Amino acid sequence: MNPGLLSYFLVSAFGIGAVVSGWLVFRTDSMLRAAYWLMVSFVAVGAMLVVLDAQFLGLILILMMSGEMTIMAIFMIMFMMNPAGLNPMTMVHQHRTSMVAGVGSFLVLAWVGVVAEFPDRPAPAVDPTAALGEELLGRSMLIFESAGVALLAVMIGAIALAAKRGRFGDADAGSVEPEIDVDTGSRT
Amino acid sequence: MTTLGIGIQVAAMLVGGAYVLAVADRLIGGSGSNVRSAFSYPVKRLSFLMLQPVTTTERPDLAAWILAPSLLLGLAAVGAVSIPIGGPSPGGDIPAGLVLFGAAMLIVLVAVFIFGWAPNSVLPMIGGYRFAAMVLSIGIPFSLVVLTTAIPAESLSVGTIVESQSSLWYLLVQPLGLPIYLITAAAIAFWGPFDLPEGTDLAGGIVAEASGARLAMWRFARAALMVTLSLMGAAVFLGGYLGPVLPGWLWTVIKTAVLLILLALTGRTMARIRVQRFVWFGWVVLLPLALVDVFVSGWVAL
Repeated sequence: MNPGLLSYFLVSAFGIGAVVSGWLVFRTDSMLRAAYWLMVSFVAVGAMLVVLDAQFLGLILILMMSGEMTIMAIFMIMFMMNPAGLNPMTMVHQHRTSMVAGVGSFLVLAWVGVVAEFPDRPAPAVDPTAALGEELLGRSMLIFESAGVALLAVMIGAIALAAKRGRFGDADAGSVEPEIDVDTGSRT
Repeated sequence: MTTLGIGIQVAAMLVGGAYVLAVADRLIGGSGSNVRSAFSYPVKRLSFLMLQPVTTTERPDLAAWILAPSLLLGLAAVGAVSIPIGGPSPGGDIPAGLVLFGAAMLIVLVAVFIFGWAPNSVLPMIGGYRFAAMVLSIGIPFSLVVLTTAIPAESLSVGTIVESQSSLWYLLVQPLGLPIYLITAAAIAFWGPFDLPEGTDLAGGIVAEASGARLAMWRFARAALMVTLSLMGAAVFLGGYLGPVLPGWLWTVIKTAVLLILLALTGRTMARIRVQRFVWFGWVVLLPLALVDVFVSGWVAL
């Protein structure tokens, strides 16, 4: 099988996988299953990007998804007060609105896909790291630098919040066993 | 090298490394076992588990429960694919191999969480939540120290990173790297002293309801994950296959085995800490240190 045909086959397979797992998000009856089917869908999209020679982008997409989807699942389970997410519950609501939104966005995207002119030149063979560096510090510098500084500020803020002494005591209060008073045998 | 060749190489490394880890763990932690019995212990334990009946729970998510160990093993194998074992691969290796490794290691969170959630039982589920809290606290320092090795090498390909250590290992160039990497790697593989998701205070946690072949598969997948993490540690911090006299693959095996034995030793000898304290440690100690590692390495590289 020649490489072109193989990548055509792989892109189609991952694309069908992404659509099917995206459909399964709404067919399951549990929030955790829905969240992880959505992750499978995103991973399939990431795999499509990898096959299309956008390795870095595809892998970063996959890398981000595992943590994000788990956090999303935990928050959904918390808000729904369904501690394990195992009790069956329906995953769809507002049927008419969602049907209109779904069909509408499909039509718009399909229209873009049919009408837009995509470049058909093959990707130049450069080292992706070098290409990424050129992009980060070249024409997209402003976007990436502002996003990068914002993310760094968030990380430092998270450290400051985690390390701060709060009204309940030290940041690690409650994570250390209280010492036992030898004389009375009770915890101080 | 052909795809099949790489597959056989990775499988041999994972199985061999898992055996080394099991023997080392038995020698260090097994009470009252002599040396000879430790070498046959992994085989005996595997046979015992394979003969044991697989118990089940009330209304589990059976598909997820059965598939989660395979997912964990698959992630360990995917993470190992990007690491050159015997020398520079003639076809060139995966250009963004380090990112592939990072992606595989972070999806471990999903495999472990599902394995704890699927039995529909309270203690495994608490173990899964514990693991989520741990990995979300150390995921950023883990990714940062691994990606920092790409700065002096000027490449995300693991082969290039190994080659760039021909004069000096990154263990010495980035002294913060390997310690943070080993701590976070042990947490990602829920290995001691961070085996809190499987803690005895939860009666086994995520494996409390697992038995038989399913437990055997899970144990092997966890050991394979430890091997992959040690392989990457040896490649990016200890110069991988580079070394005098001996052939390259033997250097990779020796360095990986050293890291595995070190992890087995610390896993058995260090005291467990509570999840709350570990989360605090991840955010307040490891993340700033990892940022320092990035800044210093970037400054040195300039």
